[in-house]
Amino acid sequence: MVGNEAQTSLKSKNVSYERILNRYGWGFTFFALILLITFLFYPIIYSLYLSTMSSKGIVQKFVGLNNYIRLFNDQMFLIALKNTFTFLVIQVPIMLFLALVLAAILNDKSIKFRGIFRTGIFLPAVTSLVAYAVLFKMMFSLDGFINTTLMNFHIIQKPIPWLLDPFWAKVTLIIAMTWRWTGYNMVFYLSGLQNIPYDLYESAEIDGTNKIQQFFYITLPMLKPIIIFTTIMSTIGTLQLFDEPMNLSSGGVTASSIGPGNSLLTLSVYIYNLAFKYMPNFGYAAAVSYVIVFFAAILTIIQFRVAGEKD
Amino acid sequence: MRKLIAYIISIVFVLSLLLTGCGNTSNSSSSNNSPQQNTSSTSGTKKITVWAWDPNFNIAIMNDAKAIYTKEHPDVQIDVVEMAKGDLEQKLNTVLASGVKEGLPDIVLIEDYNAQKYLQAYPGAFADLTDKIDYSKFAKYKVELMTLNGKIYGVPFDSGVAGFFYRRDILEQAGYKAEDLNNITWDQFIEIGKKVKEKTGKYMLGFDPADGGLMRIMLQSAGEWYFDKDGKPNFTNNPALKEAVITYKKLLDSGIVKKVSGWNEWVAAFNKGDTAAVVTGVWIIGSIKAESSQSGKWGLAPVPRLNISSSVNASNLGGSSWYVINSSKNKDVAIDFLKEIYAGNNDFYQKILVERGAFATYLPAQTGNAYSAPDPFFGNQKIYSDLSEYMKKIPPVNYGVYTYEADSAIMGIMPNVYSGKISVDDALKKAEEQLKNQINQ
Repeated sequence: MVGNEAQTSLKSKNVSYERILNRYGWGFTFFALILLITFLFYPIIYSLYLSTMSSKGIVQKFVGLNNYIRLFNDQMFLIALKNTFTFLVIQVPIMLFLALVLAAILNDKSIKFRGIFRTGIFLPAVTSLVAYAVLFKMMFSLDGFINTTLMNFHIIQKPIPWLLDPFWAKVTLIIAMTWRWTGYNMVFYLSGLQNIPYDLYESAEIDGTNKIQQFFYITLPMLKPIIIFTTIMSTIGTLQLFDEPMNLSSGGVTASSIGPGNSLLTLSVYIYNLAFKYMPNFGYAAAVSYVIVFFAAILTIIQFRVAGEKD
Repeated sequence: MRKLIAYIISIVFVLSLLLTGCGNTSNSSSSNNSPQQNTSSTSGTKKITVWAWDPNFNIAIMNDAKAIYTKEHPDVQIDVVEMAKGDLEQKLNTVLASGVKEGLPDIVLIEDYNAQKYLQAYPGAFADLTDKIDYSKFAKYKVELMTLNGKIYGVPFDSGVAGFFYRRDILEQAGYKAEDLNNITWDQFIEIGKKVKEKTGKYMLGFDPADGGLMRIMLQSAGEWYFDKDGKPNFTNNPALKEAVITYKKLLDSGIVKKVSGWNEWVAAFNKGDTAAVVTGVWIIGSIKAESSQSGKWGLAPVPRLNISSSVNASNLGGSSWYVINSSKNKDVAIDFLKEIYAGNNDFYQKILVERGAFATYLPAQTGNAYSAPDPFFGNQKIYSDLSEYMKKIPPVNYGVYTYEADSAIMGIMPNVYSGKISVDDALKKAEEQLKNQINQ
């Protein structure tokens, strides 16, 4: 009897103790929550509201969904959208494939000075976005380092107009981004590779597979979650591409067009221009930013579906 | 007890959050700490904050103005804040749009192409100076840029009067004298360039195919802009624009231009002596003089004109003006400061011309000594009195509010014009349509 009573009192004590814990828990998270609401949720909701307005600075008027309808007729927006997707479709696969191959090679224990190679390839990822873009702009100028080197080795006859031709400007941007981000993704793959048990390779070797078969039948499937992760991260990163095109184009903020023929105009740069360079139309800029949200969501869902069905 | 402590800690935490949020974030990068300034603690000190962007030019000039003004008004403290031009515009936009009055300067420098945009986008944000300043003393084209609905805002600052700066030695080698370069057309300019290329192997111009600066010079020389009188985009019915686009293509096809990308390469082209000339605003003189080995070798002629009758040999590129923020606590002091120095102090203008190369739009200043003095860097040519003559002829143009949008639309389509993929008429039509859709008109 006595024991029973003690148990119930203990239980009730437990409950009230949990309550106190809960209260403290809320108390501690309260501040973080307030911050989260004011600096994350509120801007998200406010920008949605803003995207229904058309504004010239503080002169605002409500236009409902007109901003979104207007997007379809805005060729400049369509150019930005097309450019962004061009970069996405070409640059992301090249970069991820390179990162994967490099990771697989550098994971091989028989390679000497692995640490140096890994560091060397990862190093670009710690450089500032603006600094490297400016550096690439100098290297890829008409009489810059790249052209002179290629000409000295007689690989090309005439200097390539890297940043003066719409096509080559895109190529330059893709080269620059690949240089900057490959090492970053390689690190993810490397850490993924460490988690693949060595027995798998051993038994596969006993079964008589070669290295390439091992790569496609063991490494790739085992790395799938990491590949999905890097794909999504790179996709979102490319959709928000801003620093590189802004700094590679002629004069940054004062440039007449972003790259020759607006060939480097991306959605984020267009948002910046709409809000700060052109007649400040924050409403329309907010609408364009929701386009990025929309595509990021759609692409992420697709990537999950394509890759994650069997799990 | 423990609870109490917990409450106290959390209250302190919350308060600290709130207080830092309200904190005053006045940052200054002003380095000139003259003794007059260190009186901020004494009562009655009036503080004025100024935003500008170029440490070698408008910041330095503002610091000169500050030194003169605070000598006579020791109770005024002037704080000159330096920001990159893009950052300044972004910050001004954000603060004005948010509607708060904190965090704004008292005086801000605004580029002329942007002036109407700010005036129309933020009505009431800038102080109306119509009755405060004698605008008849300023160049007319400049005053028109800061007029909205009959009211004049701002105090005109530097001019962007354009010139055709050339290397005497190179052009002489090609057989041209100074007189041959006066009042020419762009077609003649190209012919001269071909001769220069042939005789000396030098390019005539550094040319950024994606930059619209030269096009704006050509347009204004004909008194035209990207828009009609009502501010509607006008590309297709605009002979000056059509001629300018054709000239751009001609320049590129003729092989007389060295292609560059961006400001640094462009400046390097004439600093290194690769090109024989540069056609741009007067503010380039500082960059030309930066290469002291070329001293005495330069000359100045009026800008070439377009092949149409309305075009004259005078134009403008850039330039900026000072504006007073209406909500400023020391608005009257700020206005008085601008009035006393920028709209009345002739010596100040002589000083900044000699020391900083700032070419004023304040007309009385142009009769001063410095403006009529020969410049040894330009072979003792009296370039500043020449430039004042050009300035009087600049056709006034209303830049409207969409200059950068139009610039982007035109320059965006130019690669297709260069390659011949599209005719000039079609290109203008396409660009106009694109601009109309973009700005929703």
